[in-house]
Amino acid sequence: MNSSAGAAVVADGLVKTFKGDVRALQGVSLSVPRGSVLGLLGPNGAGKTTCVSILTTLMRADEGYAEVDGVDVARNPEEVRRHIGLAGQFAAVDENLTGRENLILVGRLNHLARAEATRRADELLEQFGIADAGDRRAKTYSGGMRRRLDLGAALVAGPPILFLDEPTTGLDPRSRVELWRVIERLVADGTTLLLTTQYLEEADRLADRISVVDHGKVIAEGTSAELKARLGATVVEVRLADASAAETAERVLAGISEHAASRDGRIVRVTTAAGAALVPEVVRRLDAAGVTPTGLEVREPSLDDVFMELTGHAAEAEPAEPGAAGRDRGRGRRTDDPDAELATAAEGRDR
Amino acid sequence: MSTTAPAGAPGSVIPVRRSQPRLAHAVSDSLAMAGRNIRRILRAPDQVMFTLISPIMFTLLFRYVFGGAISGLNGIGYATYLIPGIAVQTAIFSAGTTGFALADDLQKGFIDRLRSLPMARSAVLTGRVVADSMNNLIQVIILIAVGFAVGFRTHSVPGLVLGILLLLFFALSTSFIFALVGMSVSSVEAVNAATFPVVFPLTFASSAFVPTFTMPGWLRAFADHQPVSVLVNAVRSLVIGPIPKQARDQLFAGQSTTSLVLQSLGWSVLLMVVFGYLAVRKYRALTI
Repeated sequence: MNSSAGAAVVADGLVKTFKGDVRALQGVSLSVPRGSVLGLLGPNGAGKTTCVSILTTLMRADEGYAEVDGVDVARNPEEVRRHIGLAGQFAAVDENLTGRENLILVGRLNHLARAEATRRADELLEQFGIADAGDRRAKTYSGGMRRRLDLGAALVAGPPILFLDEPTTGLDPRSRVELWRVIERLVADGTTLLLTTQYLEEADRLADRISVVDHGKVIAEGTSAELKARLGATVVEVRLADASAAETAERVLAGISEHAASRDGRIVRVTTAAGAALVPEVVRRLDAAGVTPTGLEVREPSLDDVFMELTGHAAEAEPAEPGAAGRDRGRGRRTDDPDAELATAAEGRDR
Repeated sequence: MSTTAPAGAPGSVIPVRRSQPRLAHAVSDSLAMAGRNIRRILRAPDQVMFTLISPIMFTLLFRYVFGGAISGLNGIGYATYLIPGIAVQTAIFSAGTTGFALADDLQKGFIDRLRSLPMARSAVLTGRVVADSMNNLIQVIILIAVGFAVGFRTHSVPGLVLGILLLLFFALSTSFIFALVGMSVSSVEAVNAATFPVVFPLTFASSAFVPTFTMPGWLRAFADHQPVSVLVNAVRSLVIGPIPKQARDQLFAGQSTTSLVLQSLGWSVLLMVVFGYLAVRKYRALTI
């Protein structure tokens, strides 16, 4: 499924187990076509960083295959390093060096000639709006400036493939938006990007395709639109006065659309491809049952809905078929049937 | 790789890597790393001064508090006797900064950045020890200058220079031990905690500050032959120059300058081979 020819990054069945039997990756497969952006979306501890570490040669996978720019990551890590830039979760800059010195050092270690490294450093400082602070030590930089410097360091050698591990975690909203603009410009110039994030908004804004990761497995994959469509195009959300009214509402709305109704406290959600046309029927049924809603909302599903459906709520979904859970985890049955995806997610959650 | 679109702003020129033989890369990478580390040291001269405060204090205290009470030096001035010991102790402590700095880099994620670059793996370690040797040299020179002020004299300048080189080589070897410690423990503080209980007994149960011939037999047997004493004695013997046989028996357990120098070199090589190997292996284990 994932070894599309000419992809810039390919991973197939990556497994990584840490000491103490912590199974960080349980068979992750992904593919990033050239010039595109893949977002690895998942909560803390989902295995995103482990996955990036393997692809950037910082770590070796226990099982599985990975290649970057056509180079086997396990066999020829040195060559891979010539094709990539990495900006990790922590801004890996030397605080005692100035911004310019940091970039020149990375340039030198990328084997650029001294003059070339200097020229490139100035160019990047300019590009990322930190030219004025270029001769100040990095320890005086704000969080946002550090991240930009770190990103600059990843780009010194002009790598065709860029890995960003949670680039905006811990930044204030304004710095986050600034960094997004920088990343968008890079992508517009044709850089292939693999990005990990906990933020749905970030994935939605930056990524062409999204792989949702949870407990070391890809539990869903597709464009933002596809992931949303998987839940039905529209969400009708009914807010009730109390839990018993909500239970009644859930019962009467159960068969109303092709998707099951779900309840979250006093809120009942119905997802449907029918759009707002379903609303009169919802109101009729509620009225017939003698239930009065306190609120009613019709909206496009957000990635939050998708994520909650795939990970959070999935725990309440039907359990996976007997025997499938446990042993076979990580071998991941993959189908295009969203219900099967949900079942896989349930398995992961049950641990 | 030529088919892929590179990163950068429109109109930016894509940097060109120099192609060089592998060894040339390793050397230039090591120099780049050493440059970075030296720059850090120069940026914090107060740190150099602070690490020098305790050896200078030791020098003054030992010289003026204990100096008069220490006998059996066979006519050698105590300052001349003491300075090689203090210099060795200082060099070993400052080799500890290698471990300290590596642990710091690991903790802050800087090593991860380095590991994603196409640089020589060895440069992280070699760049470190080159810079720390420089730092060591500066400290030893300052210390000897202080020594001269309180009465330290050398028999010959070449002897002193040879002694300093011997000392730097030993410090280089021990910095691999601390590099290993730095990569093995979880925090910078832990490196510190691990350094003291090893370094103090080794420097005090030695000939660094007092002659060993008054120590109990079992302790003397250890103190005369452990690597710190061997190095201190070698440097001291080079500095003092020729002395009568009886004095040599008491101060150097009867060993000649040549023998002491060779033994010290032997220890340095042994430590470097063993701990250099272990440190590189540890670093690789952290990497790929």
